[in-house]
Parts: sequence; structure tokens; C-alpha cells
Amino acid sequence: MKNDEKKYEDVIKALKGLQEVKAPENFEADLQRRINSEKFSKKEKKSFWQNIFVPAKLIPSLGLVAVAVVMFFVVDTNSEEMDNPFLIEPRVREDVFAVTEFEEVEKKQDELAKQKSIKKEEPAVEMKTNEGQLRSSELKSSEDESIAGRDKSKLDNILTDENDADQNQGFTAGAYSAVESTLTEVTESPQPTVPSETSSGLVTGQSITKEELNFRQVQLSEKEQKVVNELKNQVQSMERVDKSQK
Amino acid sequence: MDIKLRELSDEELILEFQKNNTEDAFNILVQRYKNPLTNFVFRFLGDYASCADVVQETMIKVYRYKDSYSSVAKFSTWVYTIAGNLARTEYRRQRRRNIFSIDDYGEEHKTYDLPDESSRPDVITDSGIKDEIIQKALGKVKETYREVVILRDIQGLSYIEISEILGVNEGTVKSRINRGRAQLQELLKGIYKE
Repeated sequence: MKNDEKKYEDVIKALKGLQEVKAPENFEADLQRRINSEKFSKKEKKSFWQNIFVPAKLIPSLGLVAVAVVMFFVVDTNSEEMDNPFLIEPRVREDVFAVTEFEEVEKKQDELAKQKSIKKEEPAVEMKTNEGQLRSSELKSSEDESIAGRDKSKLDNILTDENDADQNQGFTAGAYSAVESTLTEVTESPQPTVPSETSSGLVTGQSITKEELNFRQVQLSEKEQKVVNELKNQVQSMERVDKSQK
Repeated sequence: MDIKLRELSDEELILEFQKNNTEDAFNILVQRYKNPLTNFVFRFLGDYASCADVVQETMIKVYRYKDSYSSVAKFSTWVYTIAGNLARTEYRRQRRRNIFSIDDYGEEHKTYDLPDESSRPDVITDSGIKDEIIQKALGKVKETYREVVILRDIQGLSYIEISEILGVNEGTVKSRINRGRAQLQELLKGIYKE
């Protein structure tokens, strides 16, 4: 260490020989003035809440709050216009929906038509052998079909299938009488009546009888009824003749 | 009261100021340290106007943060630490200002030393001018070395005190002092020949 000081002896001497720089004469006065000014500024300093509740700041902020409240009640944020169109689920198109259902209905209708055609063939054969059995089977089959077919469209389809089958095969006297008899038996009245829609199973979706089906029913006049009765008698007489021949 | 206070040491005065908020104690400390601090800061900065501001700022900090002084350390160490930090900050601020003001006109980004014929060694006749040369040479010494050289060779502080002020090891202080002296010797070659 002493070697180092010897080495730089000249430098150390030069530095130690420098004149001492003194503070300015008014140093202490300036210092006191600055300290007092800081004290004064500290006393003047307002608190946080005092700064906030100054009218110059309070009025604009209150105005802003009022505008925000008004905007909140005026603007309906739940309106559809405000919804993001990318987040809204598309509306269901009824026509497209109906088409898809119709396809299913068509399939079911085809299946039912096939079943119906099979069942129709069986009673036609039996009709020739036994009139009583035919009537009962017709009645049962019609009731079963009416119970099974809870859909109006299906039932209408069944009816149309029946009519088609009748048109193709020809309306035999036995079949006609059977239909007539079932009508009279089920309704338990001589005249066919129009069923009420409200009391029917169509509305409730329960088991549906043939009377409740929504096909066209014609009110026969007395003359027409007489003609029908005559035809019935003729058919019955013909059947008896056939039986006696067999 | 004033006479009694003048007899107290620096540490006793600052404690008196801390406990009883005695303004006279603070004023005595200011009287004791205003010149040494002014000398230290002036030698570091080389500018008297800014030096006075830095020393005043140092005293204001002592006044404001008197409670942060710990009686474990010497008062001189504490006050020199404050003054050194403020002086360094001021020096860097001045240097930035000079760089932006002069370098903007230069083609290359380097500072220019303006020739001063009066500071030539053969022209030196007066001790005042000699002081000026040494001061300019000090200004050219690296900042970290300059501070320790001033504290050691001008202010006369011990190595331990300097290490406490700067917060570095005593060995680091010694090596910095040697490097600073070496740089200064190189800069002041001409003066010694005479």
C-alpha cells in the first residue's frame, strides 16, 4: 500500500494541494427557504377524498354516471338486434321439417298399405266360406287397424287403401253387406252419424274407432235408405241361395 | 443550548434531531458538512452551480429522511452516500445533455474536446490555473475511479469509510483508487515535469 502511495506520490500531492471549494454564502438561507417551502406544500396537500369531491371533478363524473344509467335503461341489451348473428341458432324451417316427417310418414304408410293388402286378401277368401266369420273378422280387423293407427294421416291412408282395393277387386255383395253391418253394429244406430271431433280419440291420441275417422259420411235420405235396404235384402237372399246350393 | 449542541458529535446531533426534532441540531450538521460536501461534489462534477444544488438536495434529504438514519453507521458515511448518489445522478444527466447537444452536429457519434491554450503546461504560471488543469484531468478519469480518488486523496476518508459509502469491499476500493491515480498521473504528466 505504501509502495502504491509512493508510486503516485505526485498525484496525491497535487490532489491534496487543491484549494477547498466552499459552499456559497447564502447556502443555509436557501436551504431553509427550500425546506420551508416543502413544509408549506405538504400542509397544502389535500387528501384523496378532498381531491375527488371537488365540484370541478364531481359534476362531470356525475353527468357521466347519469348518462350511463340512462343508456342502461334505454338500450335493450336483450333485443334480437343486439345479438351476435354468429351466435344465434338458425330458425327451424317448418317446410323442411314437414318434408322430413313426410318421408317417414310415407314409409309408414307403405308398410301399413302392405299389411292392409295382406289382411284384405284373407277375409275375401273367408267371406265366401262363412258370412258370420267374415263379418266378425272385418269388424276386428277394422277395429285393430283403428287402434293401431293413431295418426290421422295413417288412418286416411288406410281408408284410401281400402277404397283402392275395393275398386280393383270389385265390390262384392258380401263385402258391401259386411261393411254396412259393421257400420250399424259399431254405431248401434240405424243411421250413420257424424262423430264429434272433440270427443274422438283423434284429439286425445287414444284408441280410435271407425266412426271417429275423418272420412266423408253421407246422410242418406229415406228413399235412398229404402233402396239400400232392398239391395241388402237382395244380397242376403243371393247369399242364402248360394249357401243352399253349396 | 446552542453551545451544548455544538459540543455534540455528528451522531449525537442527528439523534437529537430525530428524537426531539431539534432544528438547531440539523443546522449545526449543515454548517459542519456544507463545505466538505460542496468540495466533494464540485470535484466530482466540475460545475459549481449544479454542485450547490446537489449539496442542498443532500441536506434536504437528511432533513426529510432523518428517521431512516441508523445509529450503527457514522453520520459522515450516511451523508456522503446520499451526496455521492445525487452527484452521480446529476453527472449522468449532464453527460446525456452534453451528448445530445454536441453529437447532434457531429458526423460520427463522438464528443469533441475543445482546445484550451491556457491549460497547456508551459503556460501554467498560477496555482489557480493548476487547479483547473487537475480538475479537468479529474473530469476525464472514469466515474467509478474518480469518486474514490476524491474521497481518499481530497476528502481524506479512510478505506473503510469509502467502502461503507460505496457499499463495496475495501480491496475493491483500493484497486479503484490505484487505477484512478494511474489514469490521473497519465493525464497530468506535463505538470510533474515542471
